[in-house]
Amino acid sequence: MEEKMTYEKAMKRLEEIVKKIEGGEMDIDSLAANLKEAKELVTFCRNKLTNVEAEVKKCLDM
Amino acid sequence: MNSLTLYEINSLVRQTLELTLDDEYWVQAEIAELRVNRHCYMELVQKEVQGGGIVAKARAQVWANRWAIIKPMFEQMTGQTLAAGMQVMLKAEVTFHEQYGYSLNVTDLDPTYTLGDIARHRQEILRQLAEEGIETMNKELPLPRLLQRIAVISSASAAGYGDFCNQLKDNQRGLAFETELFQAVMQGNEVENSVVAALNRIAERVDEWDVVVIIRGGGATSDLQGFDSLLLAENVAQFPLPIITGIGHERDDTVIDLIAHTRVKTPTAAAEFLIHHQEEELDALEDLSARLAEQVSQVLYDETTRLKLVANKIPLLFSTVKAREEMRLHRLSASLANSSVQYVEQAKGGVGMLEKQLVLYTSSLMQGERKRIELMENKLQSAHPDRILRLGFSITRIGGKAVKDANEVKAGDEIETTLASGTIRSIVEKNS
Repeated sequence: MEEKMTYEKAMKRLEEIVKKIEGGEMDIDSLAANLKEAKELVTFCRNKLTNVEAEVKKCLDM
Repeated sequence: MNSLTLYEINSLVRQTLELTLDDEYWVQAEIAELRVNRHCYMELVQKEVQGGGIVAKARAQVWANRWAIIKPMFEQMTGQTLAAGMQVMLKAEVTFHEQYGYSLNVTDLDPTYTLGDIARHRQEILRQLAEEGIETMNKELPLPRLLQRIAVISSASAAGYGDFCNQLKDNQRGLAFETELFQAVMQGNEVENSVVAALNRIAERVDEWDVVVIIRGGGATSDLQGFDSLLLAENVAQFPLPIITGIGHERDDTVIDLIAHTRVKTPTAAAEFLIHHQEEELDALEDLSARLAEQVSQVLYDETTRLKLVANKIPLLFSTVKAREEMRLHRLSASLANSSVQYVEQAKGGVGMLEKQLVLYTSSLMQGERKRIELMENKLQSAHPDRILRLGFSITRIGGKAVKDANEVKAGDEIETTLASGTIRSIVEKNS
């Protein structure tokens, strides 16, 4: 993941990827790479929204 | 000298007042001081419109039995508790007591008058904000998608802050929130300065927060006029983060409720607003994620189908190509045969011609030769010895051999002379 990834950026990128696939602009060659990226973005965003990240942080601080 | 005691003169005043004045009057005044000790005691004033100097002053009181009715009625109607600085319309009986002097005995209050005054005051603040062009600034701030780090302005003691935190923590979907309390006085005259100071403390660390929440605990008190402040409104309007207020009264909004980004009624509602916002975000994320999965499998399915389709076409395509090529080959070989026959025919034609020519040529050659032979024959005919003999010539032979030189014969030899007709035999006498 990029160094300065923010939630807003991640969601924008995710929406972009989904739109691209839905628009039929995604070729099979880049599908896997995009899917991988999207999966990471989803995890990143979900962690941001939910307690996962906060708990991990807490554990690391200890 | 005719004189009265103080009591007597005071009694006279009282009696005069009681006789000349109506029982009750509606009086407009500003509360300068107020204190409650079972009964409510007030200092009423009237100020100059310009300058604000006091032009009239009177004590007033509401007896406990009336106070118990007036106070809640007033608070419910206005969302305010009676306090110093408030413009009121009160129904009062003028009393004069020989010992305590002049005062107004308040029996009723008209909350609509105060409401009107509060409304005018708020309108004035709003007008001023509009003039400064900042009225909608906080509302125009985009709400970040992630509302997670929350700076809370509240009083620590109030139940509202606890309610707010519990509500946030107990959200069902495990949403993460970070809160920090910036303490402020949430009622009375200190509200303005205290809340502005809290806002300033938040502004110093503005990058650490997504949103500011101003909340005030439930409870019965509804002393809100401190929030109707121009200074506070200016600070809220121009604050760099969106501000959510949960301080309001059921019926009425303070100026900062109107100026803040979002207004809710209670601290709990503020927490619900934040949770709801984050839940929507989580839903959006789950939706994207689901759409992604669906689309990816769709693309894979489509591609597989496409591939199958193409693969299925290959044998057919191949056989078509094969047939076409065979056809071509067939045509080529046919035309090859055809053209070689033609070639042979052509060659044959050539040979025939040659043959004819040859025949023609040969026969003409033969004819020529025949002519030549005839000619030669004729010539030969003319050279035949018979013809010469007939011309008178003769042939002399010796021993059968023609003599061409006289030296070939010697005297005594028998020679034979052949003439055209008959032969003469002679003996040579002498050879000269």
